[in-house]
Amino acid sequence: MVTLTRGTYALSGTSLAFKTGTWRVERPVHKHWAAPCHAACPAGEDAQAWIAKVQEKKLQQAWEILVSANPMPAVTGRVCPHPCEQGCNRGSYDQPIAIHNLERFLGDEAIRNNWAYPVPKKAKASAPTVAIVGAGPTGISAAYHCIRLGLKPTIFEALPEAGGLLRSAIPMTRLPRDVLDAELERIFALGIEFKPRHRLGRDINLEELRQDYDAVYLGPGCQRSKEWSVAGAVPGDLADGLHLLKEWVDHGGVPNTKKVVIHGGGNTAMDIARVLKRHGAEEVHLVTASGLPGPDTAPDDILNVVPRELEEGVEEGVIMHPHANLKRLLMRGSKLVGVEMVSLKKLPTASGRKARVSFEGTERVLDADIVIPCIGEAVDPEGMERVLGGSNYFRPDDWGRLSGQDNLLAGGDARGDRGTVSAAVGDGRKAAIALAAKLIDGVEPEGAPRQPIDIASLNLNYFQKGTRAKAPTLPVEERTDHAEIEGSLEWSQVSAEGERCFSCGNCLACDNCWTYCPDNAVLKTADVAVDGSHYVFDYDFCKGCGLCATECPCGYIEMIGEPE
Amino acid sequence: MNAKHADRLAELRAKFDRPPSWKDDPKEDKERQTIRERQPRFRGLEAGHRACQGCGEALAARLVTEAAGPDVILTNATGCLEVFTTPWPQSAWRVPWMHSLFENSAAIASGVEAAMKAQGKSTKVIAMGGDGGTFDIGFQALSGMLERDHDVLYVCYDNEAYMNTGIQRSGSTPHAAMTTTSPPGKERMGKRHLKKDLLSIIAAHHIPYAASASVAYPRDVTRKVRRALSIEGPTFLLIHCPCPLGWGHDGARTIEVARLAVQTGLFPLVELERGAITGVMPIRDQKPITDYLGLQNRFRHLFAKNDHRAEEEREHLQAIADYNIAIYGLAADGDDPLDSEGADTVHRCAIVP
Repeated sequence: MVTLTRGTYALSGTSLAFKTGTWRVERPVHKHWAAPCHAACPAGEDAQAWIAKVQEKKLQQAWEILVSANPMPAVTGRVCPHPCEQGCNRGSYDQPIAIHNLERFLGDEAIRNNWAYPVPKKAKASAPTVAIVGAGPTGISAAYHCIRLGLKPTIFEALPEAGGLLRSAIPMTRLPRDVLDAELERIFALGIEFKPRHRLGRDINLEELRQDYDAVYLGPGCQRSKEWSVAGAVPGDLADGLHLLKEWVDHGGVPNTKKVVIHGGGNTAMDIARVLKRHGAEEVHLVTASGLPGPDTAPDDILNVVPRELEEGVEEGVIMHPHANLKRLLMRGSKLVGVEMVSLKKLPTASGRKARVSFEGTERVLDADIVIPCIGEAVDPEGMERVLGGSNYFRPDDWGRLSGQDNLLAGGDARGDRGTVSAAVGDGRKAAIALAAKLIDGVEPEGAPRQPIDIASLNLNYFQKGTRAKAPTLPVEERTDHAEIEGSLEWSQVSAEGERCFSCGNCLACDNCWTYCPDNAVLKTADVAVDGSHYVFDYDFCKGCGLCATECPCGYIEMIGEPE
Repeated sequence: MNAKHADRLAELRAKFDRPPSWKDDPKEDKERQTIRERQPRFRGLEAGHRACQGCGEALAARLVTEAAGPDVILTNATGCLEVFTTPWPQSAWRVPWMHSLFENSAAIASGVEAAMKAQGKSTKVIAMGGDGGTFDIGFQALSGMLERDHDVLYVCYDNEAYMNTGIQRSGSTPHAAMTTTSPPGKERMGKRHLKKDLLSIIAAHHIPYAASASVAYPRDVTRKVRRALSIEGPTFLLIHCPCPLGWGHDGARTIEVARLAVQTGLFPLVELERGAITGVMPIRDQKPITDYLGLQNRFRHLFAKNDHRAEEEREHLQAIADYNIAIYGLAADGDDPLDSEGADTVHRCAIVP
């Protein structure tokens, strides 16, 4: 007779009956952080999200995510100082991702292939109406987001064409006008009503607009030069930088000068400096109180110029005088013959606030036949005197809402604390969100600020060092008033650049958690994972060792205490 | 199986069987079950096993069975792996699996292989053991299996001590490591002897393929398992798997520890064919051994202040790492996609370009 013990015939496959999840004191959860590029973008773009689609080679989807925040990637890809790249975690590993080049590539692809802007919410016939003053970046962005959110926008513009400062003051060498035209045409075709040659205070007035429309958004920009003098002295032939730039863009005329001093350190200063240099000025000096980018310069003390514009300007021969100011104008009659400069720096005072301190004994004289102030502009109050109340700028809240003014919002350069196209685009977007929330749903707008993630939360073992893609640039001797200086990346470069993204704070779908779990407690499923990742944790079996959280390259897995 | 046996088996099953009741339990998450059944990889070692949190050996065994697929028969020496996967009447294995004694995993694998051959079947046989069951106790059976040219892959899960019985030193325990039988003190700084160079001994059997791998490089483990199984004849794979309990590190850092063993040069990843070195994973940026030692309690005494022996032993281990790099030629000659930095690079949707 055969005798068999029970153990000999134990059935396999039954360890699933034993729930090792009961051992757990901590559990892994997915946590979607804000990538630093997203946190840094004034327009609100989530670059990580659209670069993820570039990695999947789904370019149209990438563009659609991009334009859900910013309708003008072909423009901002060319003109934005890209704070996203300063934020990029890759910057402290090797070099930041060339986000602006990728953005521009997608923008150009969209124009070339005529990809349709997605409009998630079609406006009803009875939809609330919004009047928008100014067809600059912020007005266009506001109108575009109104369309997306089911509102009916109308833009009033004083000039015959839309574009604002993009058309009137940004050199063609940075933004070719055919790109601007193509992008704006596609946005306006979404159903934005456009009324050119309507100047506020002359053709229309604010009170009427507020009666005729459910809400009004002001995006007039800054059209008035600030008063400028050096110790009370002003040359007789004074013209400010923005004015000269507009004239040059308009009809190509520039003052005939030999030795130029430019006072101020913004993009306008750099643009006009380069234009004058190209038109035969022997010496162009740029005097700015800020410092040049570098390890020794505090971040809040760096020159506010698009980094590559600074590089190109220096390449073309613009002479920089950082940490300096004009102390005195040397005049012969009403004619300028030179300036006296002095070194200075922003230093903390006894109260702790920073103030500019001039250093005695550093005065020096520079020969010059023209000085061009580029110290910024203020809002032209025409037609808005009562709202502006005598100040240089509007001071609305973060959504653009002016206190004490029902359904009247303002944003863009007119806020005074902005100064980039992307920030203007972001203001327009936020204003439209606030208006849609109030006029359609009758609620407060909701900000969803995810926490930004730092590089220490990533696992860098899973990445390799690599070099940043570089777009071709025109050699100095071939640069003219018209040809664009920075070129486009090739698709192969775009693809390689996208591959470098760390996917900070979001799932890369790299399979690390699934591969490394010793307990088979991470399950792979793109369908069931509702949070956009490709995985779910099987808490029946997860022992809570935390291996997946440590080995997640993107910081997307967090260990939290086991709920009671 | 003849009819008589089948009847007897049915009778025994009716009497003693513990059916997999979890499937019909109303409390079970049906959706989760369905996802588990549809995983896009073969699950040879299923969840519910009793390994410690962050167990390197469980991970290695999972990777090996995944790479091998369903058409295999496993034999297992006594040890953690045997104990934590098969508490009666459950088993975490989803392929035929057999355990007999501590010392005879290779011997019963030889028998199974011979039986398969006699029946004309192509089912592959994988013998498994820990470092105790391979370096020491099962060594003669292993050597015999290699010498008799059996078509078996022998996988040694190397966690560098007898962990199952409570962390006693083995032939694989590295020099200067603390175990319960090699405690540091006045006489010794942990284990006095060196880690046995098993791979060279195996290679001396002139077998077609022997390799070392690490759980920190799973794609490399998978590749080596498949390479070994594609070869007819005896093959050998040594997989370095950290033991959080025995080595004294956080279970969340198993991979980090394993990776540092490779990056420092203390555990070289090499491939040997017929005794000759035919492939190595180059080390792109060699890390100092203190990065590796500092994470583990078993080397804590090597950081003792006011003990000149601590520094001496650290230097000794660094010299061993440098020696490994020199004799195996591990120093990278430029960046390589399969070197110590490139081999674990991640890509979106896990697509390696």
